[in-house]
Amino acid sequence: MAALQRVAQSSVSTTASSYGSCKGGGGVLSPSAAEMAVPDRFPAGLRVLVVDDDTTCLRILELMLLRCLYQVTICSEATVALNLLRERKDCFDVVLSDVHMPDMDGFKLLEHIGLEMDLPVIMMSADGRTSVVMRGIRHGACDFLIKPVREAELKNIWQHVVRKKWNGSKELEHSGSLEDNDPHKRGNNDIEYTSSVNEGTEVSLKGQKKRINAKEDDDGDTENDDMSTSKKPRVVWSVELHQQFVTAVNQLGLDKAVPKRILEMMNVPGLTRENVASHLQKFRLYLKRLNGVAQQQSGIANAFCGPADSNGKLGSLSRFDFPALAASGQIPPQTLAALQAELLGQPAGNLMPATDQPALLHASLQGAKRPPVEHGVPFVQPFIKSQSNVSKQFPQPVISAEDVSPGFGQWRSNNRSTVAPSNYHGGSSALNSNLLMGVVQQEQRQHDRTQQQSALIEPCRSFNVQPSCLVVPSQSSTGFQAGNSPASFNQSISFNKSTVIDYSLLSDQSNNSLNIGHIPTGNLKITGTLGGYSAPGSISPTSCIVNADNNSTSYQNSTATFSDSRELPGVLHNTSNSQGFYVDKSGEMLDQGPLRNLGFVGKETCIPSRFAVDDFESQMSNLNPGRIQVENSGALVKQEPIVDYVDNEKLGIPILQQYSSSDFMSPFTD
Amino acid sequence: MDAVAQWRNQWFDYTQYLRREGFLDDQFAQLKKLQDENSPDFVVEVVSLFFQDSEKLFNNMARALEQNVVNFKQVDAYVHQFKGSSAWIGAFRLKNVCINFRNFCEAQNLEGCLRCLQQLQQESTALKNKLENLFRLEQQIVAAGGSIPMME
Repeated sequence: MAALQRVAQSSVSTTASSYGSCKGGGGVLSPSAAEMAVPDRFPAGLRVLVVDDDTTCLRILELMLLRCLYQVTICSEATVALNLLRERKDCFDVVLSDVHMPDMDGFKLLEHIGLEMDLPVIMMSADGRTSVVMRGIRHGACDFLIKPVREAELKNIWQHVVRKKWNGSKELEHSGSLEDNDPHKRGNNDIEYTSSVNEGTEVSLKGQKKRINAKEDDDGDTENDDMSTSKKPRVVWSVELHQQFVTAVNQLGLDKAVPKRILEMMNVPGLTRENVASHLQKFRLYLKRLNGVAQQQSGIANAFCGPADSNGKLGSLSRFDFPALAASGQIPPQTLAALQAELLGQPAGNLMPATDQPALLHASLQGAKRPPVEHGVPFVQPFIKSQSNVSKQFPQPVISAEDVSPGFGQWRSNNRSTVAPSNYHGGSSALNSNLLMGVVQQEQRQHDRTQQQSALIEPCRSFNVQPSCLVVPSQSSTGFQAGNSPASFNQSISFNKSTVIDYSLLSDQSNNSLNIGHIPTGNLKITGTLGGYSAPGSISPTSCIVNADNNSTSYQNSTATFSDSRELPGVLHNTSNSQGFYVDKSGEMLDQGPLRNLGFVGKETCIPSRFAVDDFESQMSNLNPGRIQVENSGALVKQEPIVDYVDNEKLGIPILQQYSSSDFMSPFTD
Repeated sequence: MDAVAQWRNQWFDYTQYLRREGFLDDQFAQLKKLQDENSPDFVVEVVSLFFQDSEKLFNNMARALEQNVVNFKQVDAYVHQFKGSSAWIGAFRLKNVCINFRNFCEAQNLEGCLRCLQQLQQESTALKNKLENLFRLEQQIVAAGGSIPMME
């Protein structure tokens, strides 16, 4: 049968009008507007591609997605879908694919998309066996839905888009459509990859201590401890391994380099095709990045990072890569020269600066990142270190997909930090600068506590903070900045509103669980960034970080704070699990599981009465407590929060009053 | 009682009967909820698609089962697909037959498979008839100016 392919655009308009709601007042989305994914209508207009050989399923999903105000394209053949994606790479935000398809295995399609387009892919199947779901995750699926899928489950798929973007890009503070964010994200990813490639290969992620200079030792120790607790063996892309990989790729030719062939050529026992696939993806991005050097970012990064030793580390690696890269003919000589110069510690003002940061962060992040990700145990350290990095997010996806290539995870986090600086510079919000200062202070404190690192990290961190608005020393409880209501937490409706208020409240409130406070703020910020909402510049990142520290002890794990912050966003905002969104904001270092728990807990303690009572309550009700509780290892919080919040008079949130509970009613909850 | 009211009552009774007998389950109600003024024929459309697809699948299954060396894995794949589709429209009984069918496939029991295929075809035809009745009733109600009740 001919591939059924249809783009349902006009229906979006009609649907939008018929449903009327959706935060922006639910106007009709013109085709162009729909494509643009107007920020303040987010997530309406999200461009979804559905691939399934079952036409019944396609039709039903199409309608459900339309009702979610998404822009839907359906396709009944995987090969056609892949071609479509290749031709119109930037025309889709997320892909929904069936597992069992006659012309191509769904997992294979998933891999292709991950490698070539780096779009979030959600798998679906009537077969809900754990083994099948696990396969999906290992292949890199962002999520796995069991058929028949309910409309409620589809409402939240935007979280995967956001999370991916957030992880990839720090430049979210400015408003912009999702499309606008794409190039940034891509660019950032490339940068991150670059630095991480250099850093990661050089530094032995796991099991290899003291491979590098003493600077890394602390990290190594921490890392090893963490690693010992990790459940999955990670592939460390050591220099030799990477060299083998690059050699194989060069022999095959970059165009023809497929994971399977590369794996065969490398002939490394214990290395799986998935490991190679993931690494290949990063490598490709890296090359792309080299081809299109983003000078501004590197310039900024330079300012912030700069220890020569990190460069040194990178240097050897970069040198290692360059020949391979040069051989592949993809890197212009001048770029290579610039790269080399940078690696060797000379401020080339190009790619290198970006790499510096990752290098710095790398050490500190290594240990922190992985363990939290794997165990889902909240980390204080990682949080501290890589707050700005929001790197945690990276490790997670990486690990979930492959549970390998720790280097990648690190790289990513590194990248984040790298990106941060640029973001920072780019950020126009005054808040950012305030945050930065606060963050730096905070981070320093944290640093001292956590044994390592370098002050280098801090700056990076602060950068990260910016986007997520998380980093903010708790001390400074800046008053609330009115204007945003907690409502923004609600995934659906409040996108427009930033939760500035909450943020400041949180900081004021207590030292504990302010993390949660972060989250909301963080979330808000992110949202704002994504959808072009007013940046929560007014938010006083009061103590996202600081509190985290304080709170950490009060929580199950020392890392609780970290996780708290991560979870909070998710908890607060997600009525049904779109935690990813928020978590990312706060620099989700922990995977969602632990985060949820913490977040929720934090929520209880942290959220000041700022939130309008009714708002909060509605939020709470939206949160789907049942879900949270399950995940929460010790979440008692659920029940109390409302009361707490209500009682908390201190913060008197005038702004909150502006929002009625109806604000929180997301159109999706109708 | 006026005609519309009568038909609405009939509609209630009929849907209750269909639910009770397992012809339809909750998922069908979900589908109906998706239908609105923008997609007034959504359910009819989806159900039609389903039956069209099922025809093809039945042919495929029959052909696969006729082979000298039956590829049970392939048959199982078809059944899995059909099961998925059935689940989408809330065809409860069909779904259950599929479960049996898959068990027979796994056991490589040709007899059992053939029996199940036959059962699927019979059930499918029966469901089709019932749904046609239901849709006709709905059309009558709407044509007479009434509104189709909500399915619970």
